[in-house]
Amino acid sequence: MKIEDQKIRNIGISAHIDSGKTTLTERILYYTKRIHAIHDVKGKDGVGATMDSMELEKERGITIASAATYCEWKGHEVNIIDTPGHVDFTIEVERSLRVLDGAILVLCSVGGVQSQSITVDRQMKRYKVPCIAFINKCDRSGANPFRVISQLRTKLGHNAVAMQIPIGLENEAEGVIDLVSMKALYFDGDNGEIVREAEIPQNLLGEAKAKREELIDAASLFSDELTDAILNEREITSELIYAALRKGTLEREITPVYMGSAYKNKGIQPLLDGVNYLLPCPSEIENVAMDMNNNEETVVLDSDPEKPIVALVFKLEDGQYGQLTYIRVYQGTLSKGSIIVNIRNGKKVKVGRVVRMHAEQMEDVEYLKAGYIGALFGIECSSGDTFTSPEINLTMISMYVPKPVISLAIVPKDNKSQLAMAKALNRFSKEDPTFKTFVDAETTDTIIEGMGELHLDIYVERMRREYGADVTTGKPRVAYRETITQRADFNYTHKKQTGGAGQFGRIAGYLEPISDAEFIFENKIFGGAIPTQYISACEKGFKQSMAKGPKLEFPITGVKVVINDGASHAVDSSDMAFQAAARGAFKEAYLRAKPVIHEPIMKVVVETPVEFQGPVMGLLNQRRGMIIGSQDEDVMCVIEAQVPLAEMFGFSTILRSATQGKAQFTMEFAIYRQVPQSIAEKIALEAAENKKSAA
Amino acid sequence: MIKKEMIYRNPLVNLGYDNEDILPVGGFGAVLAHAGVGKTALLVQLALNIMLRENSVLHVSLNDAVSKIDVWYQELFHNIAANFGISEVNDYWDKIQPYRFIMTFKVEGFSAPRLEERLTDLMEQNIFKPHIVIIDGFKFDEAGRGQLVQLKELARKYFMSIWFTVHTHRHEPPQENGLPLSFLHVTDLFDVIVQLSAKGDEVYIKSLKGQSVDSKQESLLLDPATMLIKNSK
Repeated sequence: MKIEDQKIRNIGISAHIDSGKTTLTERILYYTKRIHAIHDVKGKDGVGATMDSMELEKERGITIASAATYCEWKGHEVNIIDTPGHVDFTIEVERSLRVLDGAILVLCSVGGVQSQSITVDRQMKRYKVPCIAFINKCDRSGANPFRVISQLRTKLGHNAVAMQIPIGLENEAEGVIDLVSMKALYFDGDNGEIVREAEIPQNLLGEAKAKREELIDAASLFSDELTDAILNEREITSELIYAALRKGTLEREITPVYMGSAYKNKGIQPLLDGVNYLLPCPSEIENVAMDMNNNEETVVLDSDPEKPIVALVFKLEDGQYGQLTYIRVYQGTLSKGSIIVNIRNGKKVKVGRVVRMHAEQMEDVEYLKAGYIGALFGIECSSGDTFTSPEINLTMISMYVPKPVISLAIVPKDNKSQLAMAKALNRFSKEDPTFKTFVDAETTDTIIEGMGELHLDIYVERMRREYGADVTTGKPRVAYRETITQRADFNYTHKKQTGGAGQFGRIAGYLEPISDAEFIFENKIFGGAIPTQYISACEKGFKQSMAKGPKLEFPITGVKVVINDGASHAVDSSDMAFQAAARGAFKEAYLRAKPVIHEPIMKVVVETPVEFQGPVMGLLNQRRGMIIGSQDEDVMCVIEAQVPLAEMFGFSTILRSATQGKAQFTMEFAIYRQVPQSIAEKIALEAAENKKSAA
Repeated sequence: MIKKEMIYRNPLVNLGYDNEDILPVGGFGAVLAHAGVGKTALLVQLALNIMLRENSVLHVSLNDAVSKIDVWYQELFHNIAANFGISEVNDYWDKIQPYRFIMTFKVEGFSAPRLEERLTDLMEQNIFKPHIVIIDGFKFDEAGRGQLVQLKELARKYFMSIWFTVHTHRHEPPQENGLPLSFLHVTDLFDVIVQLSAKGDEVYIKSLKGQSVDSKQESLLLDPATMLIKNSK
């Protein structure tokens, strides 16, 4: 709590699998004295960091991939936030990226910019995260950092500029030359912990001077002072260069590139210096919230610790002491004993224990100021919840939660899996409000619902990997809906006289389509044709009918029910009788109101290299997709389309094979739209068959 | 009903042009104005009119993202259809939306061959064949005449006509014919030129070239609140 805002860095490390993220993170923790020993990260084949970080964690019992780990480097506090391994744009990814102020993009000096690097880079771009790059594995055979820099420019469109040049490559990799200080840096000691500065070797001096020239040229675009110094041939200080580079980096106009080998302990300390010099502190990033009292109007948050608290829960973790809630404070100071409100449900909570996570242990603190990341104990909440001081009503994330559009039955293989599955489902529904789960009353299957095939796939995979739940999945089902297209009148009498108390109720009125609500009930009865005490029973009966269409059994939406007449019986009328009458009336009018099936239409955004633009458009078109437009962005192109969800199953595989794996797509629910007649007939047929087989 | 009502509002016919399409096949049209006066709004209305007549419009923007242009269309369509029920309007929008395709390029990445490449992608697969193309944000002062000649050839080859927005600068006084100096070198390539000028709170639409000789030009205004065209009387 001793460090002021300018010296905080909240960063993520984004990398392609196998480019050395785990090794790099571990070295950072070692040099910042968070862990005290370095372990070799070697896969079974002994080639390098091929184990995935989850396995690694289990084996070593350290939490290098915990949601946020903090370390200190040269008076700066660096929070390393785990960026999710999966690359889907789910709510969870969005949240993690919101918490970052900057990032290190790790690339392999042999593999260069690969498809996953493209994806992580896009995520950064989308959330405007400033970044610096680290070209790792310069000790590997075939290493060529300058080829990677040129790929950063051509494939990712970064204005990449080298901050260093290597002293030797492959098995001759000795160190790096810092182009700002014009010194050679060697990494001595058993684990490279001693950074030795020396003069630049004569054979590299020419290259170093030329590259420094390039660096200064690129930096001068962001500083008049630096340009002035160049033009007037004044001394160009390191401070001038860093200030210019920092400005460019924060604007995402330049990407400074560091290089080295994490495995061989080379180049990590200068990279950490780069994090301090070039990546933003929390107050340099504009964070916004939505004002719930003012129609979700955007409000810019102020990192002033004196202002009311605004904090975002970005991850939940099950620890041995219960639920650990990772939180980032954006405004105000969150201290032990503060009263905060969960904006989602309005519940007030008193903050108990506040901790900060180290790699291997946690530290109790009194408070977290704006810009800080920490964790709370004993707070009942979901991931993505915003906590604020009671006097304000701001939310960091839109409160709108779309309804699921796809469902899938999951069956655990055995009892153990059943328990693990229940635990996982409970956790996931807390983490992600768009993920829902319930037990189907008819089939007793556990159903999971979500926003797309990929969305559910990820959770099924996580269930297997993280919770060890062995489950099999059924065929995904699209959430079709029914609605009516014209007005239809009803006048229905429910009459039963089969011994005992009779039942009587008559309801008259009409159904009509509405587009801006799911269900509206309007009572236009004057003179007590239906006694007031039965009106709510009528409404209930109509509402019950909306749950399942009489023909296809899909939920019904967009119906306004107006009742304007009816009749009752002094003895035989009851709530039950009017509910039954309402159901009968609905059934009577529904088919005459020309029902149609609506299907979920997804907004699909495909990002592809331009050479595949034609084939990708063809693929979308074949799937009943309507292409809204295409956006050319140098080497890449973004195609936006609206495609029925039912046509999107298996699209990722087809897209991959059509584009050599170079295209990516995201999909989110857009609207419900009427199904064309031919498809509606097919759906009706399927529904009838399902009904038959269920019977 | 909704269709008839909206076709009636063809924005430029009242300026004295002969037919609904205004431009001949292979023809060029230009809407001139200072920044922020309503060039895009005018052309989007023209595009909506074409879509309502079930002809296709390719909207090429060199400034804005696809989503922003889409919002222009939706807003203006809903403004035009403000008198109709929301459900009817939404249904109708779903029907005409397939007649529009938006393409965006970075200014420096746009060229006639590139546009042709993209068009071929669409036409060969029978995805989209434009009747009218709108090019919004073309830099007339930077792109030479050559680019426009290439685009003209493209328009003829694919039986399209092309509308351009022309950004005029406030510091550049118009010539005698009302045209800015930076546009004079290509004026002959254009069949129709329309100018928007703001006077006080009003935006006037004036025809500078191409209306039929015996037509009586009516004066039109852009309503600054809705950006819709209205008669000045």
